[in-house]
Amino acid sequence: MKIVIIGNSAAGLSGLEAFRKQDQNSSVTVITCEETTPYSRVMLPYYLREKVSYKDMFIRDDHYYERLNAKCIKGKVVNLLVKERHVVLENGQIISYDKLLIATGSSPIRPPINGLEGEGIHHLWTLDDVRRLAPAFLRGKRVAVLGSGFVSLQGAWAALVKGLDVAVIEIMDRIMPRALDARGAELLALKIREKGADLRVGTFTKEVTRTGFGEYVLHFDDGSTLVVDLIIVGTGVRPNIDFLKNSDIVVQQGIVVNERMETSLPGIYAAGDVAMVPSFLDGRPVVHALWPTAIETGTVAGNCMASQGDVYLGSLNMNVTQMFDVTVASMGEFLDGADREVWVDERLAENQYLKIVLKEGVPIGAVAVGESELVATLGMLRPLIRQKIRINGTPRNLKAIMAQNISRHHKAFSG
Amino acid sequence: MRFITMDVKKCVVCRNCEYACAFRQSGNFRREDSNIRVEYHNDVKICLPQTCLHCEDAWCLEICPAAAIVKDEDTGAIEIVSERCIGCKMCMLACPFGNIHFDKINMVSRKCNLCKGDPNCVAHCISGALQYTTVQDSCLNNREIFHRFIESILDINTE
Repeated sequence: MKIVIIGNSAAGLSGLEAFRKQDQNSSVTVITCEETTPYSRVMLPYYLREKVSYKDMFIRDDHYYERLNAKCIKGKVVNLLVKERHVVLENGQIISYDKLLIATGSSPIRPPINGLEGEGIHHLWTLDDVRRLAPAFLRGKRVAVLGSGFVSLQGAWAALVKGLDVAVIEIMDRIMPRALDARGAELLALKIREKGADLRVGTFTKEVTRTGFGEYVLHFDDGSTLVVDLIIVGTGVRPNIDFLKNSDIVVQQGIVVNERMETSLPGIYAAGDVAMVPSFLDGRPVVHALWPTAIETGTVAGNCMASQGDVYLGSLNMNVTQMFDVTVASMGEFLDGADREVWVDERLAENQYLKIVLKEGVPIGAVAVGESELVATLGMLRPLIRQKIRINGTPRNLKAIMAQNISRHHKAFSG
Repeated sequence: MRFITMDVKKCVVCRNCEYACAFRQSGNFRREDSNIRVEYHNDVKICLPQTCLHCEDAWCLEICPAAAIVKDEDTGAIEIVSERCIGCKMCMLACPFGNIHFDKINMVSRKCNLCKGDPNCVAHCISGALQYTTVQDSCLNNREIFHRFIESILDINTE
């Protein structure tokens, strides 16, 4: 059997490793448009703020493909010929497959703002992006960050640590609309401002112009302006599916897959940011574009390509990071709602926040802002969400509830 | 391959294991530096010494975006390579047991590494609640307990 995997980040690597555990004989070819050995996208902002070195960002060694008996081809896939079972590269090379895993990931969206172009406009998504950005990250430079998701804020934090003048521009009326609830966002916003960033929410950028000195001027809808040296755009991502335009594969916000990561076309699988997978909580297809989901879906795809023995329970969104000297984490459904019960741990200090959301007594999500150990609590809650365990009591005996359920945890890993 | 077993019936919450671990990790006796934590549940009078279980399929290892978690093939320990750790806390969110902690001084995650095969917590456990044992010995122990139990029943029956 000939296996082809397009992409060598979280989903592609997990797919390859899971496949090889079951099948040591089939030929496997990995196609990547990245020039280097696999690196971790999550680590890019950590490199910018010099927490890790350049070489630390590489998460597999030079002999990785050799060891896994896989061939790695560098090139950009431009077309998929479904009937012939061919993948076509930009240089004309044709690679045939029996089973294909599409793990091409996603790319940043550039919002349609006039003048948002030129060498001072950056993203924070690929190794190339940080290679270009790092030399511009100099003390005293002024940077505007458009968007306030995890990536944007990590970029803003890195810039602050490096001594840049930082402004964060968010179009919504609060930061992190997809990863925090209102209270959590408020606590983080306080920290961001305390650390010296100019955070502007509810601010729409109408236009960007240049000065005679090459500076960028952001023009906002309230008539005010902001002059900066560089702009980091972090306003979301979209799946990399351009090469599929000639195929009739079913695509919505991503390539639609079932719980075995199979697309609408037989023998073709998709995983990671490019795939629209069932959500764990309500089964509806979603694109979470998160590292853990990419690992999980890549693993399921790899297992299913080798045999049919794996089924994905659905993506449960989880986010965590430390930035602006505070820990921020969330998972599942963390917003209040009419049919939901909310537990807030009132015993915590004022700048600490732990909220658990339940539906009919079953935890469905949580948010934490504050100390690191809150993340461990979220970790212990996760199996209860995954296994839909009804919990009785009050937030005060959360510790006992966790202890009671500890024997269940071993069944509640990924997948 | 050996692993740490915990007998909740024997634990007396002396916290010696916590101090022993903290001392091994950081050279001081701050309990928050320990990778083993004894949770005392006052309402049911139960104490739970908890440390990493070194899962066979460790999700923390799989999910680590910095490839900083590895398995030591000699001891079977799942270890965090602190030089590679970026302190993102993804492993803490992944661990379903709450057994990964955070080192606020070095800003990295930390967990039990079985002290490279000589766990200090076990060495200093005063009640025998913690044992560093092989699967075979642990099973043997269970068989002996079962055997004594059967014997005790047989004794009653023969009287």
